[in-house]
Amino acid sequence: MELEEMKQLWETMSQRVEKQQLLTNKLIIQMTQERYTTKLSKIQTFETAGSVICFVMAAFVLFNFGKLDTWYLVLSGILVLLALTLLPILVLRSIFKMKHLDLAQQNFRESLVEFGREKQRFLFLQRLNIGFGFLIMFAALPVASKLLSNKDIFETGVSSFTWIYLGAAVVGLALFARWGYGCYRRITQSAENLLKELED
Amino acid sequence: MQDKQEFIQTIKENEGVIYKITRVYAKDKEDQKDLYQEIVYQLWKSFESFQGKSKVSTWMYRVALNTSIAHLNKQKKSQQGVSMDFELLNLADEHDSIMEEQMNTLYAHIKKLNVVEKGLILLFLEGKSYEEIASITGFTVTNVGTRLGRIKQKLKTNIKK
Repeated sequence: MELEEMKQLWETMSQRVEKQQLLTNKLIIQMTQERYTTKLSKIQTFETAGSVICFVMAAFVLFNFGKLDTWYLVLSGILVLLALTLLPILVLRSIFKMKHLDLAQQNFRESLVEFGREKQRFLFLQRLNIGFGFLIMFAALPVASKLLSNKDIFETGVSSFTWIYLGAAVVGLALFARWGYGCYRRITQSAENLLKELED
Repeated sequence: MQDKQEFIQTIKENEGVIYKITRVYAKDKEDQKDLYQEIVYQLWKSFESFQGKSKVSTWMYRVALNTSIAHLNKQKKSQQGVSMDFELLNLADEHDSIMEEQMNTLYAHIKKLNVVEKGLILLFLEGKSYEEIASITGFTVTNVGTRLGRIKQKLKTNIKK
């Protein structure tokens, strides 16, 4: 098939498609209603629910912050508070930005650039999440122990069950991080390729 | 209400354009339905701000192409959605089997192109001038020409294979 043939074929097909009036008024009205654009809303619901849980936990730590009476417990408390507030805020901000993209104001090229950058930003956030995951795993234990049962695990030590839990969690998170990093590199590469393609 | 009537009319007059864009960018039939609905939704969202600011076709291609890009990064949707008879819509292609086969080959070649190339070739096949393509895409007229030249060469090679 030559290119001119392609163009001719496209024209013929276009004429046929355009002749068919398949959309009804009702169908178009239905499509304009937001309840049908569930894709992002779904992610938003999960992320919002997750964030609310994080904020409630952060509030709990904050209200009981006075109970953290040594410098290392205070440091752990600060790290936990940071992880519980900063990450949800960043994730919600990213979703809000995606949801409020003005697709009519930008041209194709600008959208592609934004799409590539947003992808890189989002993936960076994911990586940050994994890093914070490790941090919070260790920092949350002494904080939770102190606030929930008034025990300073730095003084009393931890049970063998806790060590097993920690070991399993570290292995699990390390495997997850390794897998995530592989995905991260692949997707980042494709986003970079896209941005490079636009510079040509 | 007046706006809605105007919008419905605009969509009805251009439904073929949306169909063709979704056919190029969607992965499969389900995905095509999702994308179609999303484009109509985004068009409706921007309809008020658009009115009269540019040509209907420029606005429509711009929003549809941008929505398709945004759609690329989203997960597969649930079954929730407007019940839309795409089999019926496909009648346009299936009018005769030779044409259907040729169209499938053409779409298959276009689908092999990258996201930028797909948009450009689609606008070219739609009969848009380089100036119009430049205005929709944001590339310069010269850049559009260079890129289209490369895409045509690529398609030619792929088709001959």
